[in-house]
Amino acid sequence: MMREVFGMDERAKEPVYLKIIDKLAPVYQTFGIDYRQMRTILKMKMTMDGRKEAAVQGMSSKAKQNEEKNQFFSSLWVYAIISVFFLLLFVYDNWIFQYTTYFSYIFVMLFSTMLANFSNILLDVKDSELIGTKPVSQKTIGAAKATHVAIYLVSFTFAIGLAVMLATFYFNGILAGLILILLTFLASLWSLGLTIVMYATVLKHFDGERLKNIIAYSQIGLSVFMVMGYYLISQIFEVIDPETFLVEMNLSLGHALLFPMWFVAPFGLVQEGFQTVYLVYTLLLILGTLAIAVLYHFNNDKIDSNLQKMNKGKTQPSNRSVLEKVAAKTLSFDSLERAYFHFAWQLTKNEREFKTRLYPSIASAMVFPVVMFFSSLRGDQPITAQNTLTFLYLPYFTMLTIPMIAVATQFSVNYKGRWQFELSPVHAKGPFFRAVTKVMLIKILLPMYSVISGLIIILTGLTYIIQLVNGFLLMSIILYFEMKRSSQELPFSRKYAASEANQGCMSSLIFFVPVFIISFIMILVQAFVPYAVWGVFIGLMALNIWWMKKGFNN
Amino acid sequence: MEPIVELVDVMKKFDGKPVLKGVTFSVMPGEIIGYIGPNGAGKSTTVKIILGMLKKDAGTIRLFNQPLNAGDVAYKARIGYVPENAELYETLTAKEYLLFVGELYGMEEKEIIGKASQMMDALGIKESFHGRLSTFSKGMRQKVLIISSLIHNPDILFWDEPLSGLDANSVQVVKELLVKLKKEGKTIFYSSHVMDTVEKLSDRILILHDGYVIADGPFSELKKEAEGTLEQLFNTLTGFDQHEALADQFLSGMKGDFTHDA
Repeated sequence: MMREVFGMDERAKEPVYLKIIDKLAPVYQTFGIDYRQMRTILKMKMTMDGRKEAAVQGMSSKAKQNEEKNQFFSSLWVYAIISVFFLLLFVYDNWIFQYTTYFSYIFVMLFSTMLANFSNILLDVKDSELIGTKPVSQKTIGAAKATHVAIYLVSFTFAIGLAVMLATFYFNGILAGLILILLTFLASLWSLGLTIVMYATVLKHFDGERLKNIIAYSQIGLSVFMVMGYYLISQIFEVIDPETFLVEMNLSLGHALLFPMWFVAPFGLVQEGFQTVYLVYTLLLILGTLAIAVLYHFNNDKIDSNLQKMNKGKTQPSNRSVLEKVAAKTLSFDSLERAYFHFAWQLTKNEREFKTRLYPSIASAMVFPVVMFFSSLRGDQPITAQNTLTFLYLPYFTMLTIPMIAVATQFSVNYKGRWQFELSPVHAKGPFFRAVTKVMLIKILLPMYSVISGLIIILTGLTYIIQLVNGFLLMSIILYFEMKRSSQELPFSRKYAASEANQGCMSSLIFFVPVFIISFIMILVQAFVPYAVWGVFIGLMALNIWWMKKGFNN
Repeated sequence: MEPIVELVDVMKKFDGKPVLKGVTFSVMPGEIIGYIGPNGAGKSTTVKIILGMLKKDAGTIRLFNQPLNAGDVAYKARIGYVPENAELYETLTAKEYLLFVGELYGMEEKEIIGKASQMMDALGIKESFHGRLSTFSKGMRQKVLIISSLIHNPDILFWDEPLSGLDANSVQVVKELLVKLKKEGKTIFYSSHVMDTVEKLSDRILILHDGYVIADGPFSELKKEAEGTLEQLFNTLTGFDQHEALADQFLSGMKGDFTHDA
């Protein structure tokens, strides 16, 4: 019998996900999990996710404290609306094309969300101290963490796939619809299972400071792998005739490593009947699922049993780099701002949670332009003025990380930003926000932009250097406006909660349209108006000097 | 009588650096053990190994007369633990947190609420029963942790700096509580840097230094090694006699007369 702890007395009022999970109790118990304990942990976690935390004692009012609304669930409708765009897939009467695009999108979204937003749940050290010291097995703690993430991940997946699922029932029939629901659910469990196995393996084999770095590298590695996979999958199809929407598919056994294709194969079997390639891929899907289930079973308790290692080991010396010193001197206009600059630089250098949130999306944003650059170089195509123009704007992809940066700078373990601010002799928010924005510009965006620009300079020489500089100046201004738009209280002054996982995606949506329009206008002006490059340069420089001196002063 | 806790040659390394090089000691039922050592000596690491939060690299551990094996959890129902850092689930109320902990020990809601309410009252924080832990002071959090370590009536207590953040009155209550818990037959193993308390309350004192237990015995016996208070004994055994020189160095640095490079 379940007892009620967290406010809701009647079972009828319990959230749907708990009722569903209750039905799975025998499954949990079969695998040696204490279901009653797991449910208690899960319910406590979900209660906490629904509450906002006060950064400093006494800061939040009673009324605010009593608000219990999980932001994550209440904003899922945004994803459902985005998924409407995927209805365009149904103009092609080719199931394989439809579902390859769908599952590629689903997996990229799932892995990037999983790594950036839910890794912190899996790697939460607090649980091992507060729960691990009670008579609760590592298996039970692991299952509670996995189920906690799964609730969010499955809801998220169904929201982003909603339109395609409904359209599948309508256009492709009930059987296809049911298969899609099953496989969409499976896809979210795959991404969760693979991530858990990856973390468990890394935690088992590494120690201390090296472990923290390897975790970060593995997150980046997986992000890069997903984006590369996405690109390779796009190579399978070729639009033969855009008028009649004829698509040719070159699927072969050679593509067997692209596991999202395994999820598509059952549709091939249903629509086109028996074909060896579909059968093999479907078998791979079944075997892959079994393999992940087995790996999960043997590894799900390894994360918690090794998590304490994260707290140990040598700390890296926090010396200031030359770039940090030079940037602080040249870009900060008073000593207070300079102090905030160094604070923000060191915090983003050392805080694992910050890196976990941001680095996978940086990796993804870098891979697209680099892959596009190298794939454009293939073949015998000479470098013409036209494709040079395309290359020239590849660094603009860096801007896609700006919404994520704006969100990531709001959070910090133990609200370090709030403490720093309260302890400062002068309580001025402007210098703090300016310093943080400048750190993000120099520490995160400048290296990314420089790498991609460097590739272009190698190819075209210094001919287009001003266009590249202008791109960076534009990015700096966009970063300022995005930081200003999304800034709430103070930088690094909120504690991360799972329910806020989708913030970055929502702001990306709001951000993307105006940025695309502005960038496009700038590209056109620079390309077709004589000497506009210099006019744009002067204008952007003036705007940059303005925000760097006066920005955020309100 | 058999020891309730027994460690033999327990070793632990972090990043290749040995922290525990061969820790050996035993604890008899009903004893109060003061476990002391310099910062970073491995006191918390020892407790975390006993509680299964960290794996030992070598050595053997026996608890309640049974060897401790990886994956064992049932024995934790007989242990109460107060961690060094007063970290809690901030957005829960005290009532919710204690209910949560009690439930993990398999207790019934009515029992948990009754016990928690009375214990909070005794420690002077009953009014905050429904308050969020994020609004609690360090001392109040420490009290919640102390309650959570006792709510299931354990046989052994592992308390890491239990008096940290407590006001003078609460310190008195907790000290008295320790004495009464001992009379109830409970075993208490606690780490602290407050030497005065350790000296007065402990039946036996263990001093951990450089990866080994370098002293083990009642204070009256240890005193034979060096005259004076436990603090002086601790300084002698750990070879520390530079407090005056270091205080001078600190002061001159504060006044701007520093010799260290940036």
